[in-house]
Amino acid sequence: MHICMLHSRSKLIIIGLVIRFKEENMNSKLSYQDRLNSIRKLKSIHTLQKQEIYGTDGYWDMDDKGLIPPPGNWSFEPETNTPDGRFIGNFLCGKNYRKLLDTHPIYINPMSSLAGGWMYSFFDIKSPLWDDKYDYSHLHEIQKKYDLVPGIGGIQHFNVDMHMGLALGFGGLLEKVNKYAEINKGEADDFYEAEKTVLIGIQNIIKRHAEAAIEMAEIEEQPEIKKSLLKMAEANINIVSKPPSTFYEAVQWTSWFLVIAVMYNFSGAGGAIDEYLYPFYLADKNAGNITDEEAIFHLACLLVKDNQYYQICGTKSDGGDKTNELSFFMIEAAHRIKVPTSICLRVHKNINPDIMKLSVKYLFEDKLGTPAYIGDESMNEGFVKNGFSMELARTRAKTGCHWCALPGSEYTLNDIVKISLLAVFDVALRDYYNNLPVNPSANGLYENFARHLKIAVETIAEGIDFHIKYMKNIFPELVLNLLCHGPIEKGGDISSGTVDYYNMCVDGTGIATVADSFGAIEVMVGTDKEFSWDSLMSLLDTDFVNAERERLMLDSVAKYGSGGSGSDEFAVRISKTFTSIVKEKPTPGGRNMIPGLFSWANTIPMGKAVGASPNGRKAYAPINHGANPHPGFSKADSPTGLANAVVSVQPGYGNTAPLQLEFDPHFGIDEGGVDLVASFISTFMAMGGTLLNINIVDKEKILAAHKEPEKFPNLIVRVTGFSAYFASLSKDFRQLVVDRIVDGL
Amino acid sequence: MNGIIFDIQHFSIYDGPGIRTTVFMKGCSLDCAWCHNPESISSKKEVQTYFFKCIGCGRCFEVCPQNAHKVTADGRLYDRELCLQCGTCTDNCYSGAIIMTGGEMSVKKVVEEVSRDILFYKDSDGGVTVSGGEPLLQPEFVKKLLIELKNAEIHTAVDTAGNVPFSSIETVLPYTDLFLYDIKAMDTEIHKKFTGVGNDRILKNLKQLSSFGVPIRIRIPVIPGVNAKLDEIKKMADFLSKFENIEAVEPLAYHSLGAGKLESMGAEGERPVFEVPKRKLMVEIYDLLEAKGLKVIRKSS
Repeated sequence: MHICMLHSRSKLIIIGLVIRFKEENMNSKLSYQDRLNSIRKLKSIHTLQKQEIYGTDGYWDMDDKGLIPPPGNWSFEPETNTPDGRFIGNFLCGKNYRKLLDTHPIYINPMSSLAGGWMYSFFDIKSPLWDDKYDYSHLHEIQKKYDLVPGIGGIQHFNVDMHMGLALGFGGLLEKVNKYAEINKGEADDFYEAEKTVLIGIQNIIKRHAEAAIEMAEIEEQPEIKKSLLKMAEANINIVSKPPSTFYEAVQWTSWFLVIAVMYNFSGAGGAIDEYLYPFYLADKNAGNITDEEAIFHLACLLVKDNQYYQICGTKSDGGDKTNELSFFMIEAAHRIKVPTSICLRVHKNINPDIMKLSVKYLFEDKLGTPAYIGDESMNEGFVKNGFSMELARTRAKTGCHWCALPGSEYTLNDIVKISLLAVFDVALRDYYNNLPVNPSANGLYENFARHLKIAVETIAEGIDFHIKYMKNIFPELVLNLLCHGPIEKGGDISSGTVDYYNMCVDGTGIATVADSFGAIEVMVGTDKEFSWDSLMSLLDTDFVNAERERLMLDSVAKYGSGGSGSDEFAVRISKTFTSIVKEKPTPGGRNMIPGLFSWANTIPMGKAVGASPNGRKAYAPINHGANPHPGFSKADSPTGLANAVVSVQPGYGNTAPLQLEFDPHFGIDEGGVDLVASFISTFMAMGGTLLNINIVDKEKILAAHKEPEKFPNLIVRVTGFSAYFASLSKDFRQLVVDRIVDGL
Repeated sequence: MNGIIFDIQHFSIYDGPGIRTTVFMKGCSLDCAWCHNPESISSKKEVQTYFFKCIGCGRCFEVCPQNAHKVTADGRLYDRELCLQCGTCTDNCYSGAIIMTGGEMSVKKVVEEVSRDILFYKDSDGGVTVSGGEPLLQPEFVKKLLIELKNAEIHTAVDTAGNVPFSSIETVLPYTDLFLYDIKAMDTEIHKKFTGVGNDRILKNLKQLSSFGVPIRIRIPVIPGVNAKLDEIKKMADFLSKFENIEAVEPLAYHSLGAGKLESMGAEGERPVFEVPKRKLMVEIYDLLEAKGLKVIRKSS
């Protein structure tokens, strides 16, 4: 390993650490794969370093991102404007981010074709999720009562219009900002100043990298790397102001925008990349200016830059298949770079079968949990039910853990607003018990649950309106605004109402835990009368102490997922109730809400907020994962059983209730295995499934890795909607993943 | 009419083409030394014990009418000799330490359960396989089940060892799209030594079945010490290559996953322990069969 430090000729700029691997003789030619292997090795080092620096006790229960550990001698201190040393508002968000961009170390790995990387999580430090100046204490009591995650202060989680960015370039975006600043002069000056300063900061950092690439090329001894650095410099100089004109420049432009966005506030909306980059590829290919190998290499370099959410395939506005060469190249690129990635393949009934098979083949070969699969028809038909056109629905790309959004025109708070159905159930149960009617029943309890759920949803709705009213004053989306339709034109942050569509995502969590609890009460308290209401509550309040048999009795009731059971019926009913309450009316401010079922990584903390439950769950144990039934729902927890269950609870309005699935690796190697899985995926979507995340994992390996994670540093798993290195997860989270995986296998 | 069934397994991918559900019938006319589903052999319900799951609630002691569950100086004891297989203890055990294997199910109930995956069958060219044990010990039930499945346009497969009267095969033949047929040994004495019966009827039935033209997939359990020899496989290959409707041959490497079940049935140590055949041998077997013009289903492990 060869480490080199570069010092700029300019006194103002500190150039960061550049690490390269010099594994071969300098005279031997490096292939694209050699370079990708080198990049991957460096990423492994960064991952270990990040765990040490940023993890909690060395663990990191989140997406594996492209954050690069900064050089030890670099630091960043923002200017503050709150009494407790934080900053809020357009002016300081803009000024501070500009300062960060201007002082951010250079990052160029000469093995990569793409300049840039991010070393600082801007929104984490000093910038709060909220400021007490904007008081919503009137909501606190109910939010606490139901353990609501209201989303107030939530950031990003929407999609941008990359087409616009690639057409205008950073120079064109700056012109646009200046134009509308003039038109709206006096109305939103601080907003436009903030946007302008961020754009100039972006241009500056690109220029600095271009200059650094030239410096590095001057001392580079390996011929093809020297050439690569010079091309990098040229491309970056070109895109400082002009829109990209080649595929390579377009990928570099995309990389810069996404790196700048993720550094600002963790945005991961890579978008429908095979669509927006395709014109550039086609033009270069037709002119003989690019080979497919080069294109794949650039995409692989992009994938390792950050773990962004990209969508491939899907349908055009006329329903035709959108699959093109870049769709295949993205799959191939992920296969070659072999780091955590989040590509999602949008499946429809006429999808190119070859890409389905290739994606499944690599899913099994690489065992990286990528791609995920989203159902085009089910998502589109659901979204249309909100009153939108099918043409519009088809543009709504999968750009997050479990969500889709319209590019540049829809604000959603996707994956940020959560209602713990278990917390609501617990409140309802205790309320019901304390006011027990003459003939108590599971049905009677259900009515009470629905009543409390309505209060929870109404409180969420109020919170959403509150967020929309004030978020612009806290932490505006200064980067993502640039590629949206409305914020620049109207002079206001996207959160404040400047785009056309506000479809607020409201997710329910813990459906299996609640459904099984209802099922257990119906059988054990109702039909079989094994317990009274008094004895049931006593068991819950004592967390089944000295009552393991009783706990197992409750646990033994047929669960959601077993097929045709009472718990299955309750799960369907809960989904319908939740959906109808969410869809009954918009927020008081008129914002449409769309229900989903997804816990993200909240499975553990949401479980910790609630005591024992009637399904035999011990106090503070995790809730179920997403929309999946609890492991052990049947003798063998078959994939078709899981699929049938999750399909049955789809809310059906264009947001997802994902299925998380595991397959044994040998299955994909055996003859016909890939075809069977491809068929399974297509059938799941045709049945109405929306999203499918698949892990290919060896049971013995995952158990060994759980015991000694440090021995498996490169084991990647799809945790929920995101991929992560298994070793980087906390013990609790690893246990959750293991429980689900081992039972499924 | 009810059938005696001990399991229904969804997402079966090794019991015929496509995504399938396998219905396992209880009762077998063979007693193979390597059987990995020993609970399939008896046609009666049976208690299986997994005492490592026991939580010590003592309910089985209280409820057993035969006093078959005891606590002794050596720990807990379950006396199978006394047990009537009445199911009282299993009904009262929630830890899974004592379970009853096998039970009656109506055709309607089976069809209801297997129909849940019908869309998966259709897209993957899969369906339902009736296996066991030996399903053709309950030919009338299997026939009725297959008729219902065919009415629902579900592909059907019957997995048989062939050691039944041919009339039982004929009963289900019109409703079976594919037969999975076991061949264990060509030498009848070896066959008898390790399965309890000779192979004359089995081979004769195969010949007769083949004359009907229905597709047949041959399954060969490869057991070291029994038939895991290339000369034995060659005899099988010579025999099978004469038939025109053998759609494929599927050599199945022995595995020891049934050992835990033997213990649960109080039969630990009652069967010989075999070795798992080496990968090299399996590949040689695949190649030998293919050289005889047979289509072979190869497994990666």
